[in-house]
Amino acid sequence: MVERLLDSTTLGLRAKRALALTCLLALAACSAREVVVEGSFPTPVVDPVPVSVGVLFTKEFREHELVDDATGRGEASWRVSTGVAQVNFWSTLLPAFFQNVVFIESYEDLNTYDVDAVLIPEVTDVQYAIPLYTNVKVYEIWMRYQLSLVEPEQLKDDENQAIVTENAQPFVQWPLTAYGKTPTAFLQSDTDAVNEAAVMALRDAGANFITSFGRVPGVLEWVANPEEVQ
Amino acid sequence: MRVTALLVITTAMLGGCVTANVDEMTFDAPVAGMGEGSIVILGRRHAPDYDTEPDFIDCIGGHVSRGDAGINVIPERRFIDSLYPWFEPRTAPLSIESVDRLMTVPSVANKLGELDLQYMIWIDGRTEDTNSSGSMTCGVGPTGAGCFGFGTWGTESEYEATIWNFGEGSEVGRMSAQTSGQSYMPAVVVPIPIIAPVQDTACESLGNQLLQYLSAGPDS
Repeated sequence: MVERLLDSTTLGLRAKRALALTCLLALAACSAREVVVEGSFPTPVVDPVPVSVGVLFTKEFREHELVDDATGRGEASWRVSTGVAQVNFWSTLLPAFFQNVVFIESYEDLNTYDVDAVLIPEVTDVQYAIPLYTNVKVYEIWMRYQLSLVEPEQLKDDENQAIVTENAQPFVQWPLTAYGKTPTAFLQSDTDAVNEAAVMALRDAGANFITSFGRVPGVLEWVANPEEVQ
Repeated sequence: MRVTALLVITTAMLGGCVTANVDEMTFDAPVAGMGEGSIVILGRRHAPDYDTEPDFIDCIGGHVSRGDAGINVIPERRFIDSLYPWFEPRTAPLSIESVDRLMTVPSVANKLGELDLQYMIWIDGRTEDTNSSGSMTCGVGPTGAGCFGFGTWGTESEYEATIWNFGEGSEVGRMSAQTSGQSYMPAVVVPIPIIAPVQDTACESLGNQLLQYLSAGPDS
């Protein structure tokens, strides 16, 4: 389109190209930044907790994204999709952390697998900061989760043969925070840096989960006697 | 041709404007070198406003392994991933005593045993640009593009290495390197960056000290 507009002017070829490049650069600077978080996540080195857990990733969790529309001149809109990375990360961490893990994807799974509890992670908040806003030379991501342990029976809607999470009463529920940052680097784009900070935040979420799990009220009692849910 | 030669000479002269201070306090150096076993060099990343740069850690590791082929340096990323989540910014041990607590987790103790780790070296610090001055104007016209002006900025590096002897469970030394330098960018049509190798000098200084410590034999 830019080239078509320039065709109608009387500028020379070189000047047209220079002007087209300048326009494209200006447009690129104002356009939305999109990040689909990608990374590889290591398997944790832990002694597994001796319980059998079902893991339910809700649709909101699988498709989670942070959308921040620009509010002023010089700012860019951001869309950071963390859903796929969340699922990849927790799917790596949880099977190593618990002795037996099954991923619950349907009502049939709830009936088929005999699990002590179902773990439902939710992302309740994600915030980010980039050097443009903070004047600190780091890119930062904060994440806040709500984790719930629920009896499998509470998730069954026998009438519709479906999974329902809305009215479930978790017997243990706790918040989990995570933070990731990455410093500015030469020739690193904003989107790459935000991706890296998000990966660090996910890793931090795992570190926090593993080190704090035993201190969550009610968890130790459940682990000691998983058959008898409070 | 003459202009190119002049530029090369000027770059060579100004590119070396770096000053370095090194400091060292070590004890219990391995008297006959490290021998068998591995070391790992890790960056501290728990400060709120900076991270010790991973490429600086790679640089030190490369310097040590190039200097003494007998020293097996485990790459930082591989080590951190193989012991996830115990060396993340949130969980990394800040003292050698914390490592003892970590060793009470059987799977961690097994993994560290597999790695045959003798020394764990923590590097804390950063490189940052300080004062900058000058101005430069760039423009694009129908006949081409170009810049005119002069810019200069200072860079400072400050790093401290803390050495833990894993076998003995004790801290055996601290070393530090502080370097600073001034970079220049004159521009007459084309900007010519004359960058002071401040971080590289810090890497070399600290790498040499570590190498001397770890390779300490009767001759060194």
